[in-house]
Amino acid sequence: MRDLTTAIFSSPFFGITLSIVTFFIGVKIQAKCKTPICNPLLIAIVLSIGVLLLLDIPYESYNEGGYIINLFLAPATACLAVSIYSRLGILKQYWFPILLGCAAGSAASMGSIYLMCRLFGLDEALTYSLIPKSVTTPIAVSVASAHGGMAPVTIVAVLITGILGSILAPVLIKVFRIKDPVAAGLGIGACSHAVGTSKALELGEIQGAMSGLAIGVCGIITVLFSLLL
Amino acid sequence: MKILRQIGIFMGICWISVIVEQLLPFAFPAAVIGMILLFFCLLLGIIRLEHIREKSDFLLGNMSFFFLPAGISMINYLDILSANLIPILVICAVSTVLTFAATAYTIQFAIAFMNRRKNHA
Repeated sequence: MRDLTTAIFSSPFFGITLSIVTFFIGVKIQAKCKTPICNPLLIAIVLSIGVLLLLDIPYESYNEGGYIINLFLAPATACLAVSIYSRLGILKQYWFPILLGCAAGSAASMGSIYLMCRLFGLDEALTYSLIPKSVTTPIAVSVASAHGGMAPVTIVAVLITGILGSILAPVLIKVFRIKDPVAAGLGIGACSHAVGTSKALELGEIQGAMSGLAIGVCGIITVLFSLLL
Repeated sequence: MKILRQIGIFMGICWISVIVEQLLPFAFPAAVIGMILLFFCLLLGIIRLEHIREKSDFLLGNMSFFFLPAGISMINYLDILSANLIPILVICAVSTVLTFAATAYTIQFAIAFMNRRKNHA
């Protein structure tokens, strides 16, 4: 009996099916609730881990299929080039403030995280997992892994940040009195990547486009800064 | 055949970026090399948007799904996460506010600076 269940759950098709089904449930729940906390990825992670723990399926069995989905990450990251390219017009018009602002944001993010990690006495691996967490997941994970961070911890931190950013965005714009929609959009994209961008799109077209642009620009700047670490 | 060609373009770019990553003397993530490579191919007109539209819509539209396996591997790190939950949450919250403020203020300042120079000229 044990052999049979091992065979069933070790098939790559199990991992892929479980992933698609739980993600689909996550998307449905978000469509109903419409709050950033009901993030489809977050829901799918919780549901899938629940299934694996409940049925006592080892992670290695799941990963037979998970590994195949993981392969899509590299082309998906490359695709961010398409979203920068399709906003080439605004990039040309505002290249100076965009570069300066994203550099300041990335420096503030990485610097403040490093200092707080020291303050809390977190170890090296955890620190490097958190340092790139304000940028989009594929870039954050590559930066963390290159410096000995733990990819899953980075993903969780990136998700928490994105959700926090999209909840806080309207409050932050008011508190810091950001009147320029260009500045507001880039600020949202810089601190909360793609999850924040969906919120920025609700605030306005300029905010949305700028937030999307900040994802790619901050991502590249963060990689460049991380070379100095 | 159209989709197959688009998949071929993406796989090719990713493969070349792995080669470039190996050749570079410092640690630069292959995925980001692929992004820069694709950007310049688009800019120089080597690849046109319609060459990759369907595949890139698929990849961008389902971006977060591709992170699910990596997110699920959290199952092996549950002890580390729960032991450091409070610091991680505080760090995420504080850095989010700081990053937003630093970016937005710098940009407002830079735009004001640009406008002032334009008015003087």
